[in-house]
Parts: sequence; structure tokens; C-alpha cells
Amino acid sequence: MKHATALLVSVLMAAIAGAQEDQFSTVITPAFSPITWERLVDARNEPNNWLMYSGTLDSQRYSLLDSINIDNVGQLEMKWAYQIPVIDRAETVPLVVDGIMFITEAPSNVVAVDARTGREYWRYDHEMPDDLRICCGRNNRGVAILGETLFMSTLDAHLVAIDARTGNLLWDTEVAPHDSGYSKTAAPLIVKDKVVTGIAGGEFGIRGFIDAYDPATGEREWRTYVIPGPGEFGNDTWSDDSWKTGGAATWITGSYDADLNQIYWGTGNPGPDWNGDVRLGDNLYSDSVVALDGDSGEIVWHFQFTPHDVHDYDSIQVPILTDIEFNGRQRQVMMWANRNGFYYTLDRSNGEFLIGKPYAAQTWAQGLDPVTGRPIRVPGMAPTYEGIMVSPPIVGATNWYSPGYSQDTGLFYVTSFDGEQEFFKRDEDYEEGERFTGGGGRYTSPMDAFHSSIRAINPETAEIEWEFPIMPRSSAGITTTAGGLVFTGSADGYFFALDASSGEELWNISLGRRVHAAPMTFAVDGEQFVTIASGNVVYTFGLRD
Amino acid sequence: MIIHLGRLKPNLRWLATSIVVLGFYNYPTGLLFQSAQAEDAGNLYNTAVDIRMGNRYFERQCSRCHGFDAKGNDETGAPNLTGRLRSASSDAGIFNIIREGVPGTAMLPVAADVPDATVWQLVAYINSLRYDPLSVELAGDAETGDRLFNGKADCSGCHMVNGRGGRLGPDLSRIGENKTPEDLLLSLMDPDQEVAPRWWTVRAAGADGVIREGFRMNEDSFSLRIMDTDSNLWSFQKRELENYERQEKSTMPSYAETLSDGELDDLVAYLFSLRREVLPQ
Repeated sequence: MKHATALLVSVLMAAIAGAQEDQFSTVITPAFSPITWERLVDARNEPNNWLMYSGTLDSQRYSLLDSINIDNVGQLEMKWAYQIPVIDRAETVPLVVDGIMFITEAPSNVVAVDARTGREYWRYDHEMPDDLRICCGRNNRGVAILGETLFMSTLDAHLVAIDARTGNLLWDTEVAPHDSGYSKTAAPLIVKDKVVTGIAGGEFGIRGFIDAYDPATGEREWRTYVIPGPGEFGNDTWSDDSWKTGGAATWITGSYDADLNQIYWGTGNPGPDWNGDVRLGDNLYSDSVVALDGDSGEIVWHFQFTPHDVHDYDSIQVPILTDIEFNGRQRQVMMWANRNGFYYTLDRSNGEFLIGKPYAAQTWAQGLDPVTGRPIRVPGMAPTYEGIMVSPPIVGATNWYSPGYSQDTGLFYVTSFDGEQEFFKRDEDYEEGERFTGGGGRYTSPMDAFHSSIRAINPETAEIEWEFPIMPRSSAGITTTAGGLVFTGSADGYFFALDASSGEELWNISLGRRVHAAPMTFAVDGEQFVTIASGNVVYTFGLRD
Repeated sequence: MIIHLGRLKPNLRWLATSIVVLGFYNYPTGLLFQSAQAEDAGNLYNTAVDIRMGNRYFERQCSRCHGFDAKGNDETGAPNLTGRLRSASSDAGIFNIIREGVPGTAMLPVAADVPDATVWQLVAYINSLRYDPLSVELAGDAETGDRLFNGKADCSGCHMVNGRGGRLGPDLSRIGENKTPEDLLLSLMDPDQEVAPRWWTVRAAGADGVIREGFRMNEDSFSLRIMDTDSNLWSFQKRELENYERQEKSTMPSYAETLSDGELDDLVAYLFSLRREVLPQ
């Protein structure tokens, strides 16, 4: 009997050893590896990871992954869901680094999960004062990563550094005083050895700026105000002392061109939003894109989309960079569908206006000057005390939610809204920490009477190539893939895929709650996934096993 | 005040004069503003000037989420403040929500240095968006209106009240809580003036080639659900439809010509009486 048992054991051992041998033929590596600047510059070529808010420094949100494609996207199924334990809308775009996903939550928390399963490694809950000043919800859109450190904006206007392996707080820097109306919601952008980040608070009479911080210490390296001070170029575009409280918040993530060494960043509305009487002039650099030197932060050029804005048409859109042939010449361009209802193609080396046309309903401008791109206003469309109907409404023809671009189709994709609203003007004095908006707006028709669409725009002609109508008012961002797909969501809780060439509907699933974020895609062990937040849940999809 | 609603007169100001700020009576002064947590001791800041100041503060500080007309915003989740309030039923309740916020939500407290008086003015403004129905005297007779509703006007053919009636229009069991007499009269005379998207109609040609028409119960980006005039419920995927048309109009006829001024008054009085709590006579 003993012998028989011993024999059995030895046979089993041999079987196990054989199995182990097979097992060891698969190399198992630990999740996560440090992220160098070189990896960020070359992020497109490691498409298994999503290394920054917009995927790559050019912010195209175009992934080279193609195992999910137009032929099989109909076989997508849900792989896991992560329930954010805070009942609030999620605007997060997670990052994925070698199998670990970093998700931000309202109000300013971050959780690290296994990207294959959605199960938690660690979480960081940011301690928050109870006297926040925020205009538009408890939002956070994502983190940035460099080395082994995550960087996150917080609602109390701090920038924090978090150990990506443990969630431990490394440093916590106050960017601006939250009780004066400053807050932070956008993912920072890593530029070489600095953490570049903007500021929110355009409804509180702040003075907008873009900052750069030392990733190791949290020390500020430079600050560039996007409202010039006395003696600086553009200060005379603000009457009296209005520049001091002129807003121009920088509440979105910018882009970077490593060859030109330029950082591109959108700026928000001048303040007060709807009463321009107290800030006569063009109000530079509100509602603009500014190009900053990648080392010093100095403004190299600017392009103002909406001079002397009185409708809250923030230029808070993510700049998308690509190179195209324009009028027979190769140009380094920037594509921009603005909240004001116009699409623009600019030369990003110098800010030259190349072409621009309306891409959504708009009634405030007759068109754009063909040389300068400056809008030609329709007289009498400024807000009044009694109210005046203007299109786009305050939420804009688009807003902060990311557009996308496909290198395969050469098309730019944007979630657009055709709506209108009654705009009112009010007289207000600035008080620190109080709202400073000078009016507001109201809809006079039910939201369902308006229209949202995904529109595909040709950057060479500024013409709409196709559109896919969805219910209003969608605030979902867009991601494109080499699988020929456009992924996005809708206000009524769908996540769906379109054919990037034709706009044809290929797949959809009802997730039940508003999609208020952009999708992202990644791969683990060679298997592609696509992730989207809907309501306060983060869902991940993959092909049927 | 007797209100004759026979035909709408734009200069009717009955609402402004019928504002009743709840809890105004019976409390001594000086007790109210000692602490951040208000007891239900009423609001002394409720003059027309206070309401105006409250309105200005609201437009500035609250309208971004709650809307310039205080009717709420589905996107931000901020509730409509012009009807029955979800979280507060008294002045003190409203005061406390403004002063302390709603934890775990985007409803933040007002800044600590905002004086209580300002918060009370805001309370007065929010209260001014509603009114005490008891203060409204209508020229019409509700009982006569009830008979009209179920008889000559045949409203019950389409509308339900307390479980009885048709399905081809909104349930009116609590219509008096949400509509002013002016709103009600306007709906009777010009039903197309304001039609909730739920009562728009859709004409859809399905994959089977059959055209179906019905109320637009719900439409989303990819699908559509309707109820036809036989109360059949239909669900369609938009991509499977050959085409569909949407009519943003009401199916209700106008009663401007078919009922007399007096009958309209009676019908309005009946509709205004339809609420969860029966108004004392």
C-alpha cells in the first residue's frame, strides 16, 4: 500500500512538474512599470497603454489597436464594471499602465484597479475643505503620470502627487486659494520634466494662468497668466482694472508638440461672463488658444476665437494636432471645433488662421474674416436685461468633452449641439469668492426639441463629411482606433461605435446613465479593451471569449 | 380678490399679490439669526424688496445649476425649485439647506461670511416662486367644472383623474399643484403653446411596412417607444425603421370656441382643485 501511494505521489509530482514547465513558458511580469518622458513622447507606439488624458501629446485620441474593428465590434460584451462609491457624474478618462488602471472619482479621489478585472489595488481620498467654490459640479477628469508618480488636480485648487504603486500622498501643493473662487478639475499634462496644469474658476472673477511644477517636489517652476498685466502686450484690451478679475480660466488639458517645443492650451470666457460693459475691449487672451514655449512657459503666439465674448463661449477644447496638406502645401495644423459654433484649422507653428466655418447652429456671427479668422458679429446679439435668443446656448456648440481625429480617415470628429437659449445681462460688482457672471440664460423649449450629432469634419475644407444624430445634449468625448472605429457615448446613456469613414452605426449598448466622459482603449496580454464612464460607473468592454 | 379668467389678460398680477410666505406669523423678532441652524421660526425678510434681493442673489449664485428661471437642470441634477420642494417643507428647512448644503452632492453651502439676512431673502425669493392656493379665488365653480370635464367637454375621454378616464393625455389627478390657473386656461385655449415631449406624436414606418402612429412615450438616440390610440405599446429600434416623423404638437382640441368664458372658468376651477390634499372650502 505504501508503495502504491509513493508511486501515485511520484506520478502526480511528475504531472505537476510538467504542468509547471508549461506554465513557466508564459512569462508573468509584475503589473506597472515607470513611465519616462520618452515613453510619453512615443505613447502612440505602445497602444496597450493609455498614458495621458488625451492618449498622446497631440491629443488625437487615435489608438493603433485594431483587434476590435468594424468587422467584429458587434461582438463586444461587458467584461467588468467599477462602481464609483460617490453618487455623482464621472468625467474621468482612466489611464492604463501595464495592466493597472487609474480612475479618478468625484470629488477628487483616485483608485488603482486591475485593468483586466476592475478590482482594486489601492485608493487615495483627497481631504477637502467644506467651503469650496465651484461653478459646475464636483468633477475630476483624470490624472497624469511620470516615473512612478501620478499627478491630480483637486477641487480645492491643489495639485497632488501620488505614489502610483501604493496611493500614498507624496506632496500636496496649493495652486491658488480655493476660497477666492479657484478650483481644479482637469488632468495635468506632463511636458518633459514638468507638470503643466491650468486652473478653473472663470465664474468667480479669477485671473487665469497656466503653471508648471517640479514633479519631484511640487515647487512651481513658472506661471504664465493668460490675462496680461500692466505693461504687457494685450493688457490694454481690458478697460480700466477689469483685467484683474477677467476670468480666462484654463480648465482643460492642453497638448504639446515636441518638435516645435510648444504647449497649446485653451482659455475660458472673460468675466463677468454675460456683461461685457465693464470689460470693454477684446479681452486677451480669453477664449483663445495660447502657444507656450515648452521650457519657459512664455507665450509664443495666440489666436483669439471670440474677442470680447459675452456668451460664455469658452475655448476650453482640447487642441488636436496633425500634419495635413492644405492648398497644396504640407502644414503643421491644429484642429479646433469651438464652443462658439465655428470649426477652425490653424497653423500651429505660428497661429495663422487657415480655414474656418460653422459646424453647428449659430446666430451670433455672420462668419469669419477669411484672412484673420476673426468673427464678424451680427449686431444686437449681446445679452440684454430683458433677454435675447442666441445660438449656440451657454453650454455651447461643443464644450470641454474631447474631440477625436483618425489618421486613417483624416477626419476630425466632434460631439456637437444645435440649440438656442435666451441670454440675460445683469449688473454685478466683484466680490472675492463670490460668483461674478453678470447674467445667465434659460431655455424656452424642452431639451428634446434640440439636436446633438457626432460630426466628422474635413480639416482641409472645414466641411462636414457626415453626421450621426443623437439625442441632446450629449457631453461625451470621442476616441478613434485603427480598427476603423469612432467610439463615443450619449446623454441618454448609450455607448456606441460608428464606422469612422461613413458614420454608419455599428454597435451600441444602453448603459442607463449619461455618458459625461470620453472613452479610452488599451490592451492587456494582447487582448484589446475599451472603457467608458456612464453615470458613476466605469465599464470595460472586450470581444466575446 | 376674485379672478375672472374668461380670457387671458396680460396685466393680471394676481400671482404677485397672492404670495404668502409661510410661517410669517406669530413669532417674535430677534430670535431668528443667532445660529446657522435655523429653527422653524419664520422669515422676517419677505418684503417685495427682500424677494427682489433674493432673486438677484439667486440669479448670481444659484442659477448656474438651478437655472435662471429656477426650473432646475437635468444635467447638473439640480432640482426644479418652482414646484413642491423635495427636501424642505418649511422656511427653516430651505434656510438650512442653503446655509449648510446637501452633504455628498454638488449643493454646496453658501460662504460662511454671507449674512443670514441674505439667506433669508433667498428663502423669500424661493417661496415667491410658489404660492398658497388658498389665497387664490377663482370666478369659476369647481363642481360645475367637474361635470363639464366628464360631460360636455369630454376631457375624461382622454385624461385620467384618480384612476378614471382615458389614456390619451396626461393624468390630471394632481394638475392643480403644478399649474397656475393662467397656465390651465392657456392649455385649454391653445394646447399647442406648450406640449411636453411625452405628448408629442410619432409616425413610424416599421420593418413590416406598417405605419404606426402614437404618443412619443420615450425617444432616445437609438430607439423609440410609442403608445397608439388603442393603447398598444410599441418599441422600435431606429435603425430598423424605414422612416419616422415627429410632431411636436398637441392632439388636444382647443376649447376657445367650444366653451363659453364661464364654462372655461368652471373647468379651470375644477382643474385647479385637483391636488393630493383637498383644499378646504
